[in-house]
Amino acid sequence: MEFEFFSNRQACRISVDKKDGRFVFRVREAAFEAEIRLVSANHLYVLFGGRTYRVFVAEDGDRIYISLAGRTYVFERQRQEEKRFDRAEDGDERGNPVIRAPMPGKVIKICASEGENVRKNQTLAIVEAMKMENELKSPVAGTVKRIFVSAGDLVDSEKALLELEPKP
Amino acid sequence: MFKKILVANRGEIAVRVIRACREMGIASVAVYSEADRSSLHVQMADEAVLIGPPPAVESYLAVDRIVEAVRATGAEAVHPGYGFLAENPAFARRLEEEGIVFIGPNSRALALVGDKVQARQTMSEAGIPVIPGMKSVAASIDQCAREALRIGYPVMIKASAGGGGKGMRIVGSEEELRPALEAGMREAKSAFGDDSIYLEKYIEEPRHVEFQVLADNQGNIVHLFERECSIQRRHQKIVEETPSTALTPELRKAMGEAAKKALQVAGYNNAGTVEFLLDRNRNFYFLEVNARLQVEHPITELVCGIDLVHEQIRIAAGEALGIKQKDLNQRGQAIECRIYAEDPAAGFLPSSGKIVFLKEPQGPGVRVDSGIYSGYEVPIYYDPILAKLIVWAPTRRLAIARMRAALEDYVIMGIQTTIPFLRDVVSHPSFLSGETTTNFIPRHFENWQENRAGDEALQLALALAAFYELNRPPGAPPPTIRARDLSSPWKTLGAWRIGGKA
Repeated sequence: MEFEFFSNRQACRISVDKKDGRFVFRVREAAFEAEIRLVSANHLYVLFGGRTYRVFVAEDGDRIYISLAGRTYVFERQRQEEKRFDRAEDGDERGNPVIRAPMPGKVIKICASEGENVRKNQTLAIVEAMKMENELKSPVAGTVKRIFVSAGDLVDSEKALLELEPKP
Repeated sequence: MFKKILVANRGEIAVRVIRACREMGIASVAVYSEADRSSLHVQMADEAVLIGPPPAVESYLAVDRIVEAVRATGAEAVHPGYGFLAENPAFARRLEEEGIVFIGPNSRALALVGDKVQARQTMSEAGIPVIPGMKSVAASIDQCAREALRIGYPVMIKASAGGGGKGMRIVGSEEELRPALEAGMREAKSAFGDDSIYLEKYIEEPRHVEFQVLADNQGNIVHLFERECSIQRRHQKIVEETPSTALTPELRKAMGEAAKKALQVAGYNNAGTVEFLLDRNRNFYFLEVNARLQVEHPITELVCGIDLVHEQIRIAAGEALGIKQKDLNQRGQAIECRIYAEDPAAGFLPSSGKIVFLKEPQGPGVRVDSGIYSGYEVPIYYDPILAKLIVWAPTRRLAIARMRAALEDYVIMGIQTTIPFLRDVVSHPSFLSGETTTNFIPRHFENWQENRAGDEALQLALALAAFYELNRPPGAPPPTIRARDLSSPWKTLGAWRIGGKA
C-alpha cells in the first residue's frame, strides 16, 4: 500500500507491505524492514536496524505526530498551503503583500487605516497571545489597501490581517 | 490548622498547591475562568468556582470575585501561587480586612518590598550592599564626573524616567563620559520628555543568585540557601539550579545572612526570596525581594528536604517554624527547566492549541510539576508555562545527565515547546563547566535552530507514519480539513464574548 505525506511542505511517498510479521517499506529505490508492534493506541514498539525504539504516535486532523528518539516528526496528509482559509480575502492573488497573524491570539491594535501610506518597518498591527505582544511590521513601503480585522478580534494563526499595495 | 484553602491561581502552580493541601488533609477550592473549565487544577481540587471570562482582569485578577468565592465556599485562607494577585498589597489588605488569611507576607511588608526605590533605600540603610550609584538625579555634568570616579568605572547612565533601555549607556572611562551623558540626555528627553539621568555602577556579566527565606509570625527566620537563575531569556529565567557553582561556603553564609536581614528589616513573614546580582569578583548586590512562592522553588525543596508550600501553610496558620538554621544542609544538586508553550525555532512565538499526546519523563530523582494532560487545550490568555521539569542527583554532573535524559523522554505532541531548546542549553559546554551568567543565552543561543534530523531517523519516522495509516481503525472517518477545523480552539470557544466589554 502506498502513502503520501508532507513534511515541511515537501511530499514524501512511501509504500508498505507485510511479510512474515515484518514490515517492508520502500522509499524510491531504497527498501528497508522493521518489526513493529502496536502496544496501545499511541504507543509502538519498534525493532529497526538491530536497535529497539519506544515510539509514540498521535494524530490531530490530517496531521500525524511521531515521537522517535527524543524528537517529534510531523507528517501531513495534505500540503500545508492548501489549508489556508479565507482565501477570498487573500491579497496574494493580486501579488500584494498580506500581513498575517503569526500565531493564534487577540488583535490588540491596528496601527494604520485603509488608504494610509506606510513606511517599511512601520508597525501595522499588534497581536497578543500568552501575555506576549507581537508587533507586525510592514515589509514594504506602500499603502494599506484593506484591513480585515479590528482590535479585540480573536484570530487564528495565518489569518490575514491587512493587505498592502507596495509603492510602485 | 485550616480546614479549607482557596487557591487563587491556575495551571501548574495551582496543581502544586492543591497537592500540598491534599497531603495535609485540607480541602481545596479551585477558581477558574471560562477558558479553564477543563484545566487540571479544576479537575484536581475538591471544589471549583467559576469566577469570570477568560481575560485575567475579569477573573484571576478580579479581587471581588475571588473574595466572593471564598465566602461562598467557606474557605479560611487563600494561597495566591505566583503571578496574578500574589504580590498585590491591596489584595492582601482586603483579605486581612475580611478576616481571611492570606498565605503570604503581611500587606505592609508586601507594599514596602514592592516599591523598588523604597526597598533599595531600606536595604542600603540596613547595611545590605546595593548596586553603587547616585542617590538622586544629576545636577550637572561635572557632578556626574565626580560621582563616576567615586562609583568607579564602568558606570551605567540611566534615565530617571526610564524603561526599555532608553537613555541607557555604558561608559568605560572618563574620556567617554561627557559625550555619553549628552547622548543619553538627548535620548531620554525625546523618549520621556525628561532628560534627568543618574549613574549606577555597571555590573559586567553578572550572575543572578537568589536566597530562599522562611519567616514565621513569631520572629523566627531561616534561609534555605541559594538558587542560581542566571540562564535567562529576555529577563525570564528558564533554567535554575542549586547549589550555585559560584559560591564559596563563606560567601554563601554572608549572602544568606544578608537575605535574612533584608526580610527582617522589612517586617516580612512567610516565604520570600531575596534576589542578588553577583559580579565577577564575587561582590553581591541586593536587587529585589520576590514576595511569593517562586516558580523555581522545587529545586530548594529537593536539596533541603523541605516542602515549602507546607511550610507556607503552617506559618500562615500561626505555627512556629520547626526548622533551625543549623539543621539545614544542601544535599546533592537540583536543576529545573521551565517547559513553555513557545516555538524556540520561531523567535519563541507562543504556541497555543491542543496537546494531542503527553508523556512525562519518570525515573529516580525526576519530578514534573505539571498543569497539562493529553487532550488539553492550551489557552491563549495566560502565561505560556506548561510544566516544570526538576531533577535531583548526588552530583552536578549526574544531575545534568539526568536532566538531558529526562528532556529526551519528555513527549508533548500537538504544540511547540521549549524542550528541544532546553536540551541544547543543558548540553552546552559552558553550562557543563558552570560558567553561567545572564549573558549566557544571547551569547550562545542567538537565533537557535534545532539541528537537522538524521536521514535514517527521518526515514524510520516516515515508515511509522505509514504504519499508523495502515492500522487506522476500520470505520474511522477519513481525516479531512474539516476534521482539523473541528479541533481548532476557536471552534470550541462556545459563548465567549469576542471583543466584549473589558
